[in-house]
Amino acid sequence: MIITTRRTALFAGASLLAAPGLVRAQGAPIRLGTLTPLTGAGGPYGPVMANCVKSVVSDVNAAGGVLGRQVAVVSEDDQTNPEAGVRAARKLIDVDRVAAIMGTWASAVTTAVAPLCWESKTFLATVSGADSITALPHSGWLIRTQPNTTLQGRKFGEYAVELGAKKVFFMAPQTPFTQSQLANMKPPIDRAGGSIELLIYDATKPSLRTEVDQVLRARPDLIVLGGYTPDTTVLLRDIFRAGFRGKLLAYAYSVNQQMLSSLPNDVTEGIYTLAPSPAEGSGGFDRVKRIVGNDNPDPYTCQIYDQINLILMAMAVGNDATGQGIRDNIRKVSQGGGDRVDNAVDGLRAIAAGKKVDYDGASGPCDFTDAGDITDCKFRYEQVRAGRQTLIRIA
Amino acid sequence: MVSYIVFLLVVAGIYALLAQSLCLAWGVTGLVNLGLAGFFAIGAYASATLTKWGGAPVPVGLLAAMLAGAVAGFVVCVSTLRLRDDYLAIVTLGFAEAVRVVASNEIWLTGGTDGISGIPAGLPRDWGQGFHLAALGIVTAILGLVWLALRRLVASPWGRALRAVREDQIVAAVAGKRVTRLKAEAFAIAAAIAALAGALYGHYTSYIAPEIFQPLITIYVFLAVTAGGNGRPTGAAIGAYLLIAFLEATRFAAEVLPGVSAVQAAALREASVGVALILLLRLRPRGLFPELSQKAPA
Repeated sequence: MIITTRRTALFAGASLLAAPGLVRAQGAPIRLGTLTPLTGAGGPYGPVMANCVKSVVSDVNAAGGVLGRQVAVVSEDDQTNPEAGVRAARKLIDVDRVAAIMGTWASAVTTAVAPLCWESKTFLATVSGADSITALPHSGWLIRTQPNTTLQGRKFGEYAVELGAKKVFFMAPQTPFTQSQLANMKPPIDRAGGSIELLIYDATKPSLRTEVDQVLRARPDLIVLGGYTPDTTVLLRDIFRAGFRGKLLAYAYSVNQQMLSSLPNDVTEGIYTLAPSPAEGSGGFDRVKRIVGNDNPDPYTCQIYDQINLILMAMAVGNDATGQGIRDNIRKVSQGGGDRVDNAVDGLRAIAAGKKVDYDGASGPCDFTDAGDITDCKFRYEQVRAGRQTLIRIA
Repeated sequence: MVSYIVFLLVVAGIYALLAQSLCLAWGVTGLVNLGLAGFFAIGAYASATLTKWGGAPVPVGLLAAMLAGAVAGFVVCVSTLRLRDDYLAIVTLGFAEAVRVVASNEIWLTGGTDGISGIPAGLPRDWGQGFHLAALGIVTAILGLVWLALRRLVASPWGRALRAVREDQIVAAVAGKRVTRLKAEAFAIAAAIAALAGALYGHYTSYIAPEIFQPLITIYVFLAVTAGGNGRPTGAAIGAYLLIAFLEATRFAAEVLPGVSAVQAAALREASVGVALILLLRLRPRGLFPELSQKAPA
């Protein structure tokens, strides 16, 4: 019995090999990888991102897949650590043979993984913000959907001035974008006759009271919080305990719904937040809201939603489901005019009908420079009122 | 698949070097060195800065890394002479964190949290598979040399004296062994080996950043050495290969499990490392290759 089964399997395997290459290629799914932090400091963001990709892909598969093939997503954990990230990326590239890797989050992980990608002709889409990333010699194998720090820093500086701040303090852990964020916040504040100072803290400390006291001695009227959710939570508690009565300004990805429901409303009341945003009325953002089941999806999830949609459409438009195909064609679907689409199912239908598409996503218009940076981005200004993010404006 | 396995063998070789370092300091001499990641980082930065910005050839970088590691190891050891066991563990853990914080904040010296990318490898990277095979050859050869040297050292009278210090340093002192000097020597050599591993890691992967050198690496190496047997260089090396094999195998095991999301798989992988260690300590408390009791020379 066993021998018969084996023989059958052998026969089946041999006949599969004997079949023409085209038939086999059509049968094999297109493989794409997500490499998001599922554990470690990025743990609050990565799982939602990976699920978002799976959800988009299952919609596309239900509508017939890409180039007549189904799409399979392999999700790996970068553990928010470049060493573990490189091992996971190697597995995605060499074993799963993915055409693209999406969602690397920490800048150090992206910088470590990027050379593996361009050496193996695998496309990399990242949400890391450090200016240095698009300056790597990647020759087109990398795009990022996160606005670089130069732009974000300037917006923070301008908004601080608008909020009437004269004495600004910037509290942040040391990250690849801390220094350039400060450098770009400074000019607008200086022009308005104000001043800004920086205090670097260690993001792993369980209490930041000494740091807060040190900042409050300078009597700032606005504190900019530059950390991620876990350390910003600690920081906000200590700022509240210290009795600070000035204004607070933070990234929307750190002061998110998850944090707002874990802290008392008194602690978070009145915090201003800024986030890269899609234009008003964009359907992409609403779709991400539905996917994550939450009115306030974090920007990384919005960005990875855009990455997977762009990659699927780029493969279709170039009729090439490899990393090379994505690299060569992604700008043909992201920009340059055509039918406006906000999801891959509509986009693939339009491409199949021979139309040109221009994708506008959940994180913004998604137009890329040659270096892989986004060209333009609107920002979403919000304020926390009674434990909820309240939209002030999009500009 | 082949290139993935070659890559893993190189990484495992580097972990095995770290395990050799820990075997000497902890297994043989009894100095609990939780600062392993710090020495790993010092070696990586010493060699990377010297070869990338100083233009030195890679072998010079490797030697400089070992020297830097040995000096750092010596300084840490003499400044913690009175500490043993848990207290030494806390101080060395603090040392590794201090190295990471300095690497993050002294941007002029280390490139800060951006890290150092494009570190020269000493071999042309465009060889493709050939590059990885050559790196595998070099790392494995260096590991072999270190392993041989360590075996000789551990079996020598010097190694015997180290074990005496580990068992009871007062008795060793009474027997006329110079305890301070022995500890400093062992710790400095161990730190130099860890630094060499760091330098090799930087040259092979071309990128280092402070975030790489988290305590997680130290813990992994402790697991490897505990699994293999902490008193024997052979056990430590095999433990490191088993560790990487285990870490990567859980990746594929998690994919096969039905109904497990990616997050649950990631959590299960981390939990399985702990379970494996508990089982191992329960079934083979002295590791797979327990220390052999040496007969006194006739």
